Amino acid sequence: MSSENEPVKPSFNDLQTRRVNRFVTKQAYRLAKPFRWLLRSSTLRLTLMLSCLFAIGMAVSIFLALTFGREAVLERVDTALTSLASTVTINETLSDNSIAIIRPLDNLGNLPNQFKRTVKRGGGTVNLSNDFNQFDAWRVMITNDSQGTPILVALPIEDSEDALDLLSGILWTTAGLVLVISLLIGMTAGLLAQRRLVRINGALSRLATGDLSARTGVDKASDDLDDLARQLDVTAAELERLVTQTRHLSASIAHDLRTPLARLRAQLEMLPEGEERGAALEEASRLSGIFDTIMRVARIEAAQGEDGFEQIKLSEFLTDIEDIFGPVVEDAGKILVLENKSTGYVTADRQMLIQAVANLIQNAIVHGGDEITLFAKTHRSIEELGVFDNGNGVPSDQYDEIIKPMVRLDSARQTDGSGLGLALVRAVADRHRAQLQLSEGEPHGLRATMKFST
Amino acid sequence: MRILVLEDDNQLGPWVTSGLKEEGHVVDLFADGKEALMAAMGQEYDLLILDRMVPGLDGLAVLKSLRASKNTTPALFLTALGEVDARVEGFEAGGDDYLTKPFAFAELSARVNALGRRRDGAGAETGETTTLRYGDLSLDLVARHCERQGQTIELMAKEFKLLEYFMRRPGRLVTRTMLLEQVWDMSFDPTTSVVETHISRLRTKVDKPFDGELIRTRRGEGYVFGK
Repeated sequence: MSSENEPVKPSFNDLQTRRVNRFVTKQAYRLAKPFRWLLRSSTLRLTLMLSCLFAIGMAVSIFLALTFGREAVLERVDTALTSLASTVTINETLSDNSIAIIRPLDNLGNLPNQFKRTVKRGGGTVNLSNDFNQFDAWRVMITNDSQGTPILVALPIEDSEDALDLLSGILWTTAGLVLVISLLIGMTAGLLAQRRLVRINGALSRLATGDLSARTGVDKASDDLDDLARQLDVTAAELERLVTQTRHLSASIAHDLRTPLARLRAQLEMLPEGEERGAALEEASRLSGIFDTIMRVARIEAAQGEDGFEQIKLSEFLTDIEDIFGPVVEDAGKILVLENKSTGYVTADRQMLIQAVANLIQNAIVHGGDEITLFAKTHRSIEELGVFDNGNGVPSDQYDEIIKPMVRLDSARQTDGSGLGLALVRAVADRHRAQLQLSEGEPHGLRATMKFST
Repeated sequence: MRILVLEDDNQLGPWVTSGLKEEGHVVDLFADGKEALMAAMGQEYDLLILDRMVPGLDGLAVLKSLRASKNTTPALFLTALGEVDARVEGFEAGGDDYLTKPFAFAELSARVNALGRRRDGAGAETGETTTLRYGDLSLDLVARHCERQGQTIELMAKEFKLLEYFMRRPGRLVTRTMLLEQVWDMSFDPTTSVVETHISRLRTKVDKPFDGELIRTRRGEGYVFGK
């Protein structure tokens, strides 16, 4: 007793079918997954392509061979028929000899109907469903005997037809076998190459994520792929050596520079209090500050992995930044504006991010206009974080320059700063696989954006 | 406190030692890791100040040996390495704090005192008191209320935290690095004048309208609250 308005509930069976369908699709997908690499294997692709070409070529040549072969056979039979006809004379006693059928046209006798139809056509090939005189394929010709009486002569062509069939069978089978074998060879080669490619790819992606100890482990060199793998290992080993060396070097530079700086500081602190002592201490602080920044850039650039990374909500991060740096901007006689349009998160090292934004703000304070905008926005799967100002900006052909460490444009020489600001921002961006983009602000000024793909 | 200092630099070692002695600590200075280890095994210290790179046995190895023999004396590493990795290594070896060269003595002193308080099982800093007082200035930590000479002073969150930090350390030198770390939770110098700006705002509110300057700048070194 169900009313008509009641929505049709899918029956249990329907649901079951749907579920089964989904299951089958899923399973098929799962089963097909290991084979998808096959289509991505260049060896196999090449084999497939060549096999296709081979198959088409074979088909065309078999077709042509059979067509021309058949025509040649018929031509020969026709010649035989003509010469046969010219040697015989139709009379009552003449009957079919052991092979050929020779009949006067006005008395075809017991010949099957197909022969009569062929006579109307003026001759040709007759294919019978039942054997006539032990043959089912005949070549029929209408001609005159030596006396000029119109006659029908016919010769069986079944043997040549059979021969042609056999030939085509052999050709097709051979072609098929060659195709299957070459595909199998291609698949095996693809599989073998794929194994090594997987190792090469694996090693490369581990290297890319910073695991410099990654190797393919291929030590024999039987072909070009092995050579490639070995070369990759050699390169990775060299890379690892250089990075380790650089780390040791920077550690010892740090030590060699920090120790005298510490002594200097100690000696200055032991001086009697006064204006000069203060000034000297300030200068010493600035010196170690610059050194720290250099070391920090180097450290960020050399660091790998995602230790210390966390999910950061950009909209909240922006408010935090405003709390910290808003007063600084204000005291510099400028305004800090917030343009908070982000809805997403970035995976990042919070300290580094603050550092980068601090540098951008500092840059804008020193070189930019009187309104500094801190912005974040979500654009599809990209999270943008950055700073722009309404100052004079930087000529766009110098963007690449100002990102380099220690580079300061002539116009910025008079102002204070180490020239490390944007280098540090770029290092932080690189560390997060983000893109640092410099562009012209609206309507003028410099706009620096870090684009994080999430 | 009885403090062991392991520092091979012939200028920094004596400088640290004499500074700590002036503050009333008993200090033994060693320039060789093995000797320092022997000494630390042989007698009870309240604090170890260890340089990371010294001849013989480096500070890290010394502390590892000590920790392996269940010695829990607080340890502070001095290092010229300063890399985060080195810092982490230090903590992993059982270090309690870490100071990068070059450092201001005030900073070392502040960290030494903090470690000493920790050893005393303290929390003396966060103590029972809910209101900090200094002269005519009072700061109610619970009601988040500040007043001087009976006049209420409106403080922003960061200014409040900053003033609290100062009031807990009257008469002591406070460096920029200490403020960045403790008030802003920044382990790096943001190269902007964050500290200066906030101090100057705090001064405008706490010092300017009244007689008697409380927050004073020690050029090149830091700030001192009171006295």
